[in-house]
Amino acid sequence: MASAVTTSRSVQRPAALIELDRVSRFYGSNRALHEVSLTLQPGRIGLLGPNGAGKSTLLKILLGLLPPSSGSGRLLGYDLASAGGTLRRAIGYMPEAGALVPGLTGSEYVALAGELYGMPRKQALRRAHEVLSYLELEDARYRRLEEYSTGMKQRLKLGQALVHDPPVLLLDEPTSGLDPAGREAMLRLLLSLGRDHGKSVLLCTHLLGDVERVCDTVVILHHGQVLKQGGVAELRTTRQDRYRLQIQGDPHTFLHELRLEGVKVLQDNGHGGLRVAVPEGWTTRAFFTLADNSGVVLRGLQRDDEDLEELFHRVLAENGKDGAV
Amino acid sequence: MGQPNLLHYRPWRGEFQEPLLGVWPVARVGLRMMFRWWPFWVIYGLGMMIFLFFFFGQYFLAWADTQVTEANVQLGGFGRYDPHDLFRILRHALKLTGNGETYRNFFWYQSYIILVILALAGSMIVGNDIRHGSMAFYLSKPISRWHYLLGKCLAAGVFINMVTTLPALVLFVEFGFLDGWDYVRESAHLCFGILGYGLVLTVTFSLLIVAVASWMKTTVPIIMTWATVFLFPKLVASMLVDGLQFHPRLRLIDLWNDAYLVGNWLLDVPPDRIPPWPQPAWYEAGGVLVVLCAACLVALVLRIQAVEIVK
Repeated sequence: MASAVTTSRSVQRPAALIELDRVSRFYGSNRALHEVSLTLQPGRIGLLGPNGAGKSTLLKILLGLLPPSSGSGRLLGYDLASAGGTLRRAIGYMPEAGALVPGLTGSEYVALAGELYGMPRKQALRRAHEVLSYLELEDARYRRLEEYSTGMKQRLKLGQALVHDPPVLLLDEPTSGLDPAGREAMLRLLLSLGRDHGKSVLLCTHLLGDVERVCDTVVILHHGQVLKQGGVAELRTTRQDRYRLQIQGDPHTFLHELRLEGVKVLQDNGHGGLRVAVPEGWTTRAFFTLADNSGVVLRGLQRDDEDLEELFHRVLAENGKDGAV
Repeated sequence: MGQPNLLHYRPWRGEFQEPLLGVWPVARVGLRMMFRWWPFWVIYGLGMMIFLFFFFGQYFLAWADTQVTEANVQLGGFGRYDPHDLFRILRHALKLTGNGETYRNFFWYQSYIILVILALAGSMIVGNDIRHGSMAFYLSKPISRWHYLLGKCLAAGVFINMVTTLPALVLFVEFGFLDGWDYVRESAHLCFGILGYGLVLTVTFSLLIVAVASWMKTTVPIIMTWATVFLFPKLVASMLVDGLQFHPRLRLIDLWNDAYLVGNWLLDVPPDRIPPWPQPAWYEAGGVLVVLCAACLVALVLRIQAVEIVK
């Protein structure tokens, strides 16, 4: 039998998950990435950017499938330009589209992935059944892939990325095509893998909600450049003057009272949900007083910090970019 | 989709193997696709009928030869003949003598089966991977593009040898049983010839089908290209050389004939026993096959490099 190459446990975990030093990539005269420098620690990382931002090129470089035109980089300590197969063994990659092998059953597909990663056949088969059970596909494992629903296909693709128990998961639009329930379940799964099972997750998506739900770090790419990177909580502006309210009762008097007090109503969803900006010196006790005076019940009150979508648009605006994702 | 259950997620503790060992799983998937496709078994059964004709034809003639006790038998109104002579003539006429021509003919007939099945199954081996985006699945693994191609060629190669080399070796063993140890000893070179001919067909046809399927992807264009590569040049070569009496070297455009010529040389068949006559030299045909294989490799490299792994 072949000699052992490495074990999943023997992958040396350096301090940084990804280190990129002035990485550029050109396709002919087109610049896809321009001097991208990044240092990302292991964790759950969201890679955000509009179409053409350079996300796909960055993924190819991280997978060792495309060498950088200039600059250098490392993933888990492996050199991106030269590690190739060794690098891909440390990564579980879940592609967005296609990537299925029609004609195979679910268990054959995941076991094939295991064998291609270098697992012995018997172990790959056993592990495929384990992973499919984790992903609640055990009832469908002997069905052909053509018979799987979109949600099942997405889970199956996650299964083939997980089969060899990689330290890093590289996920390209994992919730693409899923219904709300399927999306929520997939996000919960990714969060669990990252938080409870120590996987580093690099989530490449244009869905800001997915990143907000799963990731603790975000990288915003635009036109091949990194506009912003850091912890989601650090990057989001804490706004002392914004609140979200949920009221019960007729809102008209309450809204009138708020405006009289100098409060700006930024959003009214028509079902009692309000987003407001308060003047300086405002105390939250005043909301209760006004609600009492107006005959409504204040059922919810929380500070309205900047969400990821607002952060994304703000970052693009600060850099003079179009905010379309 | 309910709540995913990761409570019992367990890490994997095994050891990884070399990427080269990923070649066989790639080949196995290609073969599995073919074997699950019912027309494959119909055409393969046809190929096995050819094999059975050779197998039992030889067996019957050898058996019948031993059953004759009379010195001469009356053959209708044509007089009396020694039946042993009759069986010998029949064996020579049917080329069931166990010499190079027997195996040459067997390979020739089986080549039809190979061509038909490969044309029909080419899209299953390679085309589907490109059509359905499966390349992203394969190439995001530690195996390289060359491992992938090797796996696909191996799938085609296993099938080709299932139809040609293995049955031919069975025939060789059968002749050994029927004619005795002397046959095996004196015809040992034929065994190597069979293996060599099988290798030529394996390398040439597997590279060609993988190259054609990777560019054409779907069945109908693959069949059309396949027919253009094998049937059209055959007709043109026959017309030019046999009809218009041009130089026999023009037969080199017929790739099927080129493989056949190299096979005849490997099986030690004298040049004057290779129909249709005249033929170019075997090494010229071999040169054409080498150029063809090189062209297929270039086409494959271009095709595989052009595939977008991450869309």
